Amino acid sequence: MKRLVQGNEAVFLGAIRAGADFFAGYPISPSSEILVLAAEQAAKDPGFRFIQSEDEISAANAIIGASLAGAKSFTATSGPGFTLMQEAIGYAHQVEVPAVFVNVQRVGPATGMPTMPAQQDVMQIKYGTSGDYYPLVFYPNSVEECYRYAITAFNAAEESLSPVILLSDAFVGHLNEVVDVDAIEVEAIPRGRPSLGTGKRFFTGLTHDEEGHPRTADAAVYREWLSRIRTQHEKVAVHYSDFEFKENPSSDTLLISFGIVSRVVAPLASQFALFRPIRIFPMLSHEIHECAQSYDKIVVIEANDGQYAWLVERELKRDIVHVPLLGGRINLDLVKNGLSEKLRREVV
Amino acid sequence: MFKDLLKLELFPTTWCPGCGIGQLMIQLAMVMEELGLDHTNCTIISGVGCTGRLAGYFNVDGVYTLHGRTLPVAEAVKLVNPSLEVIVVSGDGDLASIGGNHLLHCARRNPNLTVLCNNNQVYGLTGGQAGPTTPRDTKTVSSPAGAPYDPVNLQNLMKAGAKYFYAKTTVYHQVHLRSCVREAIAWPGFAFVDITSQCIENNGRRLGFNSAYEMLLHFRRTYKRAPEGAETLGPYEIGIVRKG
Ligand SMILES: Cc1ncc(C[n+]2csc(CCOP(=O)(O)OP(=O)(O)O)c2C)c(N)n1
Ligand code: SF4
Repeated sequence: MKRLVQGNEAVFLGAIRAGADFFAGYPISPSSEILVLAAEQAAKDPGFRFIQSEDEISAANAIIGASLAGAKSFTATSGPGFTLMQEAIGYAHQVEVPAVFVNVQRVGPATGMPTMPAQQDVMQIKYGTSGDYYPLVFYPNSVEECYRYAITAFNAAEESLSPVILLSDAFVGHLNEVVDVDAIEVEAIPRGRPSLGTGKRFFTGLTHDEEGHPRTADAAVYREWLSRIRTQHEKVAVHYSDFEFKENPSSDTLLISFGIVSRVVAPLASQFALFRPIRIFPMLSHEIHECAQSYDKIVVIEANDGQYAWLVERELKRDIVHVPLLGGRINLDLVKNGLSEKLRREVV
Repeated sequence: MFKDLLKLELFPTTWCPGCGIGQLMIQLAMVMEELGLDHTNCTIISGVGCTGRLAGYFNVDGVYTLHGRTLPVAEAVKLVNPSLEVIVVSGDGDLASIGGNHLLHCARRNPNLTVLCNNNQVYGLTGGQAGPTTPRDTKTVSSPAGAPYDPVNLQNLMKAGAKYFYAKTTVYHQVHLRSCVREAIAWPGFAFVDITSQCIENNGRRLGFNSAYEMLLHFRRTYKRAPEGAETLGPYEIGIVRKG
């Protein structure tokens, strides 16, 4: 049935459709609706487990434990909470634990502007825990996509045996749109690994060999492990090379934006070519190269001070113009002003 | 045989000769054997520290969590699979310091977990620094003039709850230790067993003990059984206090 659905609600409903049966979290704007929905779900469905944790460190570790015990588990938070979850995310990479971390971004650093949208967690999502790791990250820009990509995130987690990040922002999370979620078809991949209580395995955050035995001073074991993980994640990423590209033969400029900013930028399609990565990480290197090659200028518009722009620049090895939308104000006038200033011509 | 529960092929263990964790491992294996706990019905969750390595020596699924994070992991495992016997084994630093907030709140939520705290009164793995359980005035590498604060009172912390199970024992008192572990497993909520144990290498020698054996004799001399029915355990009393 078609009805008004909120972005955060769609994430929750997508998780349920994916088979999620465990949520742990700590309230934080603008993600709290997801926690509240999970609490309500647990109250009506005894098969769905819920913990309101004492903090985000606990929540992140709880979803790891739940996953090892056989559940499909997830949590939802925002920037400051995500920072507290970082060590656990690294652990989940080391131990190969599938789980989904939803980050509904707000303006930071620190407590920042709790109810205002931002895209300032791009770097902390890619590089925020210790060591090298290769996270899979998706960023929907509509309520329908929140639903779809919640399911995708669980599937990718299952396939890659890793913690997958679903990015959102205060704007997308609180967007209300008319959708019929039941009509959306996305296959859910079932749990693969046998749960705790069935074997004699050892799951450790220490560097370990294939049997799980700690090997804490053997560089060869470490390198083999890292290269296996990298390949594993790259293989899974290929299944989800999702992006949107609107070419524009009459323009010499390509605008790159994602999440809520891509919705705001959309009306400029008649003047510019538009590229929107949905899989934010691993970066869509090949696709960005292909789409960028016929344009002289590349502009990255994002609600942070150039985090993705820097990565695109490194990827394309070209000068990139960046238009930052800061302080939680994201609208078309600001985009036009920013473009006019950076391109030194009037954009109307 | 209780030895079947252990991965003997991985021996010798990572622990220093004479370390109390080995004794705790043997006693736990004996209780598990007695209760019929094995890889089909039991899991051991531990956290970073010398003690945490114990989970890797048992022939059951074991999880060596991040430092301090045993309880959130264990509580979730139990919630997802209530029929699994979930035993947490970790150090006093892991459970009472970095994991202190989880201890407070997990105990309050009262899941059916058995928590065995190897209390050697220091951070063993990192070289014997003072921790929350280090007695006042004890000299350690990080308290050269003596630990400046009174230690955390784990018994009082546990008894703050409406329901609680707190047992105090030592690795010297093996029969008592086993009965505490057995009762903790049988307890239908959060059961905390505070096990005084020796870290000979990074604590004992500095305190003037020449061997682990001397430390064990010290436990024998200083710890006495609490009187039957005691509601509070004195500082050197072993026993169980509980309220269901
Ligand atoms: C986040 C984090 N901080 C610090 C450490 C370093 N560290 C490892 S074990 C440990 C203390 C161990 O003491 P305890 O928990 O009492 O266990 P024991 O080694 O005495 O058995 C510390 C501080 C770590 N691994 N992770
Ligand atoms: S350092 Fe101490 S606690 Fe660690 S293994 Fe050695 S004796 Fe045991």
